[in-house]
Amino acid sequence: MKNSIKVERAKKNMTQATLADLAKVSRQTINAMELGKYVPSTVLALRLAKIFEVEVSEIFMLEDVDWE
Amino acid sequence: MKLQYLFPNKYKKFGWILLIPSVIFGCMNLFLEYEPDFFDFNVPTIFVDKVFGNGHFFGLVENNIFNEILGVFVIISSLIVAFSREKLEDEYISKIRLESLVWAVYLNYAILIISFLFLFDMTFFWVMIFNMFTIILFFIIRFHWQIYSLKKASENEE
Repeated sequence: MKNSIKVERAKKNMTQATLADLAKVSRQTINAMELGKYVPSTVLALRLAKIFEVEVSEIFMLEDVDWE
Repeated sequence: MKLQYLFPNKYKKFGWILLIPSVIFGCMNLFLEYEPDFFDFNVPTIFVDKVFGNGHFFGLVENNIFNEILGVFVIISSLIVAFSREKLEDEYISKIRLESLVWAVYLNYAILIISFLFLFDMTFFWVMIFNMFTIILFFIIRFHWQIYSLKKASENEE
């Protein structure tokens, strides 16, 4: 799964630390998601969407490998 | 979502304070056979095992209880250290927790299989003593190492 957390974060001019605080997760979690190392839970995905004021599907995108 | 099966974060420090001296004294007890006399007691036992003759259930045996105390301390404190919540126990940390636990079980039994096959008599007995504690120890090392390296990695990013 791809995500555009880094892009959305840049649009809002947020650091990883600020986003981590808002989403109530650790900075490591934000970093791991941006690097594609961690796929968040639905709850966290919804929280991020709310923070960025966009739809979940605008931040997270399925890739072909997700169907395998 | 709070995980109910973890200790509160504030217990962790207490766990470390208890664990470190217990491990040091435990090693002294094992390797140097350090057993202070004032720990000699007659203690109740479930099964009295006699070298000559038959054993029987329930009774008293004379024993130095220093190693029993240390063993219990090491187990309890390492459980607290291992299963206290992190300051921010989010879903990713929980995932690392689970992964580390699986990894520790694999490593522990891999070592046990090798010891089964290639170590005998007293040497195997020594491995068994350590094997009582290694699973939780491997978990603690692996879990904290992972958290530490992630922290370092995320500090480089901005």
